[in-house]
Amino acid sequence: MSDHPTTRSAPPADSAALAGRLRAPVAGAAVALVLTGAILAGSRNLDNFDVALLGYAIGTVVLGFGAAYRTVLWAESPAARRYLVRGWKAILKPGPGLPKSVVRRTALSTLLLQRFIAERSTARWLAHQGLFWGVISASLITFPLTFGWIHFRAVEGTESLYWIYMNGVRTISVDALGSAGWLMFHGLNFSAVLVIGGGAWFLYQRWSERGNNLTRFGRDLLPLIALIAISVSGLLLTVSSSFMDGFAYQPLAFIHMCTVVLTLVWIPFGKFFHTVQRPAMIGIHLHKEASLASGGSLECRVCGAEIEGAVFVGDLQKTMAELGLDYSGWVETCPACKRIARGASYRTDVKAGF
Amino acid sequence: MRKKALFIDPGRCIGCQACVAACRECDSHKGRSMIHLDYVDMGNSAAAMPTVCMHCSDPVAPCAQVCPVDAIPVGTDGVVGTASPELCIGCGNCVHACPFGVPKLDIPEMLQYKCDLCYDRSSQGLLPMCASVCPTDALFYGTYDELVAKRPNARAVDVFDFGNQSVVTGNALVAPAGGEDVIPGGYSVWNEFLSEEKV
Repeated sequence: MSDHPTTRSAPPADSAALAGRLRAPVAGAAVALVLTGAILAGSRNLDNFDVALLGYAIGTVVLGFGAAYRTVLWAESPAARRYLVRGWKAILKPGPGLPKSVVRRTALSTLLLQRFIAERSTARWLAHQGLFWGVISASLITFPLTFGWIHFRAVEGTESLYWIYMNGVRTISVDALGSAGWLMFHGLNFSAVLVIGGGAWFLYQRWSERGNNLTRFGRDLLPLIALIAISVSGLLLTVSSSFMDGFAYQPLAFIHMCTVVLTLVWIPFGKFFHTVQRPAMIGIHLHKEASLASGGSLECRVCGAEIEGAVFVGDLQKTMAELGLDYSGWVETCPACKRIARGASYRTDVKAGF
Repeated sequence: MRKKALFIDPGRCIGCQACVAACRECDSHKGRSMIHLDYVDMGNSAAAMPTVCMHCSDPVAPCAQVCPVDAIPVGTDGVVGTASPELCIGCGNCVHACPFGVPKLDIPEMLQYKCDLCYDRSSQGLLPMCASVCPTDALFYGTYDELVAKRPNARAVDVFDFGNQSVVTGNALVAPAGGEDVIPGGYSVWNEFLSEEKV
């Protein structure tokens, strides 16, 4: 009973630090396990799993691990943690000051239509919409296929009819040569065209715009190159099978898989991580709106101009306190009054009467 | 302070707005002016106060620290960049946490803008736009030695007092020789003003 006093009396701070260090890998492992379980269940213990797509499935599981790992690390910062909680509370429990229609409108406008990008530039918005819908549609088509959740089987005795199986359950048949079938089997090609259009525009901008010496290859160009490489290699598969009797299909398929898997694995660690962060923070403006309605606004202590909602400012002050920024009272003064105050101090205390 | 920094001398500023116009011309600003020019006591004084990002080094970039999406990059050279367009959610934390009142927020664009020391220029050894046009050298870009060589009676101060918190910055204010090593950040002015109002 009393043999291991050091083990028993380990300081709580150490165990808390250990728990903190383990949080991200544990979350990553949990997501990877859930994803693996979903693949096993959805493919009926791999009965419907296409081994040729194994690389994609592994890449996606690694993506799940990495995205959860990075998300936990990100959410540990005081500002992120506070806004994630506030934002999702505003979405899930909007309260009387925030009708559900506003929540839906925000989701549509910010998440799907991304109107804020149109405010920056219409061309940029169009290009980003191409990238966005191309990637979303490709993901919706590809992930269920690579997980074995959806597969096709030829209808016996027919030339071009296929049964669609979802989670192992036979649903409807589709004629591969009919218009619906053609659209379905070429879905990824449409995605690729959208991505190439959007990606090419951004690449051209990065290449040609003034001030582009700040463009960083890894941060700004590589993500675009990766998306375009995926799309072009994917389109070449169609070209090979449809127009060239399968010429070089296998090497192309391998190249395509490499581009996809490398991009998937990289998503949590580069620019693509904004695809996690932005949707995760979708509720922050709803929270600001709701808290302004419920808690009122805070006015500048000096000029009386409205600064922000009182709840928002209170949150910021808590965040600053957690970060050890010991001037949170200064937040209650508007930026213009801060600057003028500094000028006034300089005039009286540093260079009198300047 | 940074080895090469912007030295701001409000005493020399004539409020001509050349810096405001030039800032817009920076290739990476694309028509937006990031600098602020405030008239400290309009009607009673000619005093004007140009404000650029001070590129806080201790504590490091409070704007970046309070950013919930890590949108504000801090370079290894101490330059605090403007918000990354793909990340910034336009929450406004940085605007209000900045002790100097620097960042601007475009709410419809959900995007923060702030002085980045014209990084496309300064990283190539060129002057930031504001310093390149300032007719009185109120905004001087160079090394501390270059500043002192031009103005032997001047010194640069890069520590600002905000009550309990001192902030050390990458850029500096020019002050007369022989004064304090810390420049008031303005916090105490309003505190005194407000307490007098209450009385």
